[in-house]
Amino acid sequence: MYNKKVRGVLIQGNKTHGQITEEILAPQERKAPSWWFIAMFISSLAMAMGLWAIYTTISQGIGTWGVNNSIGWGWGIINFVWWIGIGHAGTAFSIFLLILRQKWRTSINRAAEAMTVVAVLCAGLFPLLHMGRIWMGIFVFPYPNSRGPLWVNFNSPLFWDVVAISTYLMASATFWYIGMIPDLATVRDRAKSKIKKTIYGLMSFGWVGTARSWLRFETAAMIIGGLAAPLVIAVHSIVSMDFATSVMAGWHTTVFPPYFVIGAIFSGFAMVLTLMIIIRKVYKFQDFVTQGHLDAITRILTFISLIMGTAYTTEIFIAWYSGMEGEIYTFFHNRISGDHTKAFWTMITCNAIIPQFFWFKKIRKNLTLVFIISIIINIGMWFERYVIVVTSLSKDYLPANWAAYSPTIVEVGTYVGTLGLFGIGVLLFLRYIPMMAMSELKMILKGTSIITNTKENDK
Amino acid sequence: MTNKKIFGVFDDEDNLVSTIRTIRDKGIKISDVVSPYPIHEVFDELKLKTKIPVAAFFYGIFGLLATFGFLYWTSVINYPLVFGGKPQNTLSFVIVIFIMVINITIVLTIVTFFLREKKGPGAKPSIEYPGITDDKYLIVIDVVSDTDVNSVNELLKSGGAIEVTEQ
Repeated sequence: MYNKKVRGVLIQGNKTHGQITEEILAPQERKAPSWWFIAMFISSLAMAMGLWAIYTTISQGIGTWGVNNSIGWGWGIINFVWWIGIGHAGTAFSIFLLILRQKWRTSINRAAEAMTVVAVLCAGLFPLLHMGRIWMGIFVFPYPNSRGPLWVNFNSPLFWDVVAISTYLMASATFWYIGMIPDLATVRDRAKSKIKKTIYGLMSFGWVGTARSWLRFETAAMIIGGLAAPLVIAVHSIVSMDFATSVMAGWHTTVFPPYFVIGAIFSGFAMVLTLMIIIRKVYKFQDFVTQGHLDAITRILTFISLIMGTAYTTEIFIAWYSGMEGEIYTFFHNRISGDHTKAFWTMITCNAIIPQFFWFKKIRKNLTLVFIISIIINIGMWFERYVIVVTSLSKDYLPANWAAYSPTIVEVGTYVGTLGLFGIGVLLFLRYIPMMAMSELKMILKGTSIITNTKENDK
Repeated sequence: MTNKKIFGVFDDEDNLVSTIRTIRDKGIKISDVVSPYPIHEVFDELKLKTKIPVAAFFYGIFGLLATFGFLYWTSVINYPLVFGGKPQNTLSFVIVIFIMVINITIVLTIVTFFLREKKGPGAKPSIEYPGITDDKYLIVIDVVSDTDVNSVNELLKSGGAIEVTEQ
């Protein structure tokens, strides 16, 4: 059924099922290492700055931001799109690869999904803050109200965004949690202290693992996965329509939905790579996250980078081919050359050129370089959103409206704050939740990783 | 009728599956099989089926009708707002419907899963045995009046069970 030669051994070290449980849970059953507290402290500092920025924004208003009438969407929307993009990794990993029945996903999907949930939470903050009067946030939901009742505009991409992002948060969080229940039951059964047993007992919902439960569990996971796959595509297509349905030069292009979806998966995979290299190094999970796993991710990134390059080129070509002055101006005089040259070429270099180094096996095998490139991709994807949001808005059709934009400390603060929130979320995940889907690892163990069957029973 | 159960404990997947097969061929009813991960051969051997996909399909249809109904009611009946001469019952409903079908189906499927499984925060595990969520497999057989306990024990032992206990 499974061809070992294609992917090689997925879990190295000829492990038994018991060893998998032991090794994955070992970091949690030990005391937290000192680096964990240091990282938590730094993240909390960042988050504190974010809280200050949020407080300032809410108490004083959007005037504390650098946005103006022309550039109404600054860092807030850039960061929103960036976080949502990163948030697509978990779904891309666990759901696309689940549906494609790719077994190498099993040691990465849990971390990727956890990252998704935290990233979507970070993303959701920005539109809320951008409303200015956050306490009126409920107005975006269609509820029977005292205004007529006047309903929300169901034809607006901004409303679609509300529906899509909240559905996405719900779907990814539940998918993540349900997938985790069997592993939480393992933690419960191994727990020695009473408090731990009670907490994990509550969290594991009384899971036992009878055949009937497993069948329903797998079926439900497959259905949720099957539904979430089109959802991911819809979510980022809708995010792109926030831009694409406008009349701004550089925004109203039909290539936007696929371009955004691919870009999202690109940044998501890069973030997964960053995180997995750290987890692998820090927790010594080399047996579970093998060179082969990382190699597979880098290959996907190389391919997606090519698509990104194609999308950038297509945009420029179509701008020229359309013969429309506004488009030509935006692309040729406001991006390739002009005031935003640096951001544009950073985007091109980081997203379309540097990942191409992954063609070389030597670079794919050098994890330090892979780590650096994965971070470069994330920076590049941030600049992509910067280029899209700021360049188009800064110089629209009426030169009287032209404006410059630079973020204030409050905007930077919110961004730093979400980085801190992300850090805290990931650190809590690393400490309290089984980092890899143990039940799934055990499931694929026999077919993919046991070299000699005799050893397995030696206990 | 006693509530006794025989637990056959295994530590190897192949032995488990072959024992399930022999026990079933003898006509003895297996009440449950517990494993730390899903084993598809076990589903086949026990002839387990689930109707969750069928339920999910109907949830999807419900989601479609409910969302379209809501959009139609708000935009056409309750407050027909004219903007730019565009139709009130528009094609762009498709997007909200698409997302809401996914949303409603996922929520209802999860609710169904937990209701059928009778699981939730605070639910107690129905079977407890050390290692079943780690690396042990269990075959659970209910002891009813006509069960020949000894022969069942014998079958489990000969199948490779590392331990046979009664609870």
